Amino acid sequence: MIELFINAVVAGVLLGGFYAAVALGLSIVFGRLDIVNIAHPAFVIIGSYMAFYVNENFGLDPIVTSFLFLPVFFLLGIVMYRFYYVCFERTGQESLSGLAYFFGIMFIIEVLIILVYGVDYRNVQAPYIGHSLWINDWIPLGDFRVSLPYRMLVPFVVAAVVTGGVYLYLSKTYLGRAILAVSQDRVALQLMGANPIKVKQWAFGIAIATAAIAGALLIVIHPVEPSVGRLYIGRVFAIVILGGMGSISGTFFAALMIGIAETLISTFIGPSWAPAAAYGILLVTLAVRPQGLFGRA
Amino acid sequence: MASSLTVNNIDGGYGSVRVLHDLSITVDFGETVVLLGSNGNGKSTLLKCITGLIKPDRGEIILNVDGEKTDLVGKTPEEVVTAGISMVPEGRRLFPALTVEENLYLGAYRKFARKKISENLDFVYEIFPRLKERRNQLAGSMSGGEQQMVAVARGIMSDPTILLVDEPSVGLAPNLVSHMIGKIRELKEKKNLTVLMAEQNFNQAIKIADRGYIIVHGEIEFTAASADELANNEMIKQYYLGV
Ligand SMILES: Nc1ncnc2c1ncn2[C@@H]1O[C@H](COP(=O)(O)OP(=O)(O)O)[C@@H](O)[C@H]1O
Ligand SMILES: [Mg+2]
Repeated sequence: MIELFINAVVAGVLLGGFYAAVALGLSIVFGRLDIVNIAHPAFVIIGSYMAFYVNENFGLDPIVTSFLFLPVFFLLGIVMYRFYYVCFERTGQESLSGLAYFFGIMFIIEVLIILVYGVDYRNVQAPYIGHSLWINDWIPLGDFRVSLPYRMLVPFVVAAVVTGGVYLYLSKTYLGRAILAVSQDRVALQLMGANPIKVKQWAFGIAIATAAIAGALLIVIHPVEPSVGRLYIGRVFAIVILGGMGSISGTFFAALMIGIAETLISTFIGPSWAPAAAYGILLVTLAVRPQGLFGRA
Repeated sequence: MASSLTVNNIDGGYGSVRVLHDLSITVDFGETVVLLGSNGNGKSTLLKCITGLIKPDRGEIILNVDGEKTDLVGKTPEEVVTAGISMVPEGRRLFPALTVEENLYLGAYRKFARKKISENLDFVYEIFPRLKERRNQLAGSMSGGEQQMVAVARGIMSDPTILLVDEPSVGLAPNLVSHMIGKIRELKEKKNLTVLMAEQNFNQAIKIADRGYIIVHGEIEFTAASADELANNEMIKQYYLGV
């Protein structure tokens, strides 16, 4: 029982790290720019298929592939924002039409992937997939057997490093701070000498670039089919809100919490209940702490 | 750098609503010029024209830096900041969910200011020691007086030669108002600034004014060549002092 519990918590932390990678870009775009990009998980899926394609044809590691493709995703993010700005934001129609725009993008991405790759599950090969790190080999735990599958551990480490990098970027660079400020008062930001549109555009680029990495992590963790991104939409929005809307560290910890809650529920109650964890925690949290668990104010 | 500002015959406003009518003012290098007028007479609109937030329909706004003249009409706010004009806006407009220090760092966004950021940060902390104590506090959680200090300090962080200040006294208790006005004078002297300040608080503004204008319904009603002329003007006595 205790062994089961410990293994579930460990698996939950690792799963949560991956959720953090998916939520990271949304934390910037939804949490900081107030743009409801429901297509974000669809970009994650593009990342997965890109990793799959390169892995299948050239045998390259999926995560390495995602880093090579960062500039492409960054540009994709910029183009997507520009279009959004010109068509909706500039004319003040962003709320409803904007949602339709991102829904449309999500739909188009899914259809394109289905046209090219079909609806079958795809997976990747990497030397670390299928092996585990046994904690018992390092720390004497007596009778307990605690294992960390590398297909979960590697994504966790990558997610933690990328989250840390984005956190430092946003808090230590001029452009990063402008990204944090832009939705609070865009006129004031102009008076500081920054162009709010360029700042948002850059933020969008970074957000979509993180989706490339999250996509590679996803396909390392489990096989991917074109519409699997939908499973993550509710979950990652819940994580961003729990994390305090745009707090990068808050998002990371909220993701770990959801990951742990989900694996505990799968282990002790049943896997079909796991997706409810995020909503349950979100509802209870919003009732007692509307600013989220990790919000600053 | 010796900077001065000349506004020549501008008309401007919001869409079809014309607020400023054929308005001209000058602010010479090293002066503190006050723009006096009660609510809704166009003070902020004029400052917005200078900073590029709104584009005047007619006229020119000449910035003269060491004899080199540029017309600011049609320039973006970013370009105006880069040219050395910084504005402390009405209502402070801080980034409430960022800390005091993050607000100050954002003030130094333009390339030129970045190079001098540590020097300027030390400088504003010396002028406003309170901000140093509170530097990790969220700006939105500070008192009105402290927020005004952040707003002024953030304006200095852009390392301007010309500082525009829009109603720094609004919402402050009387003792804080004179403190703030005194600080603006101190900043001006220590940084060799040229200052244009919009105010309705006549008694306070006049303490640091070298000259001034009275703006009524978007037109300059009275031009005072000295602080004395401002203080002894009949219209001001009527408007502000209720004499
Ligand atoms: N954003 C705006 N849109 C339309 N009219 C405005 C706007 N801002 C101010 N005004 C109008 O312009 C006039 C001058 O306002 P303002 O420049 O703010 O005056 P002041 O700063 O002297 O109080 C007022 O009649 C005000 O109603
Ligand atoms: Mg005003």
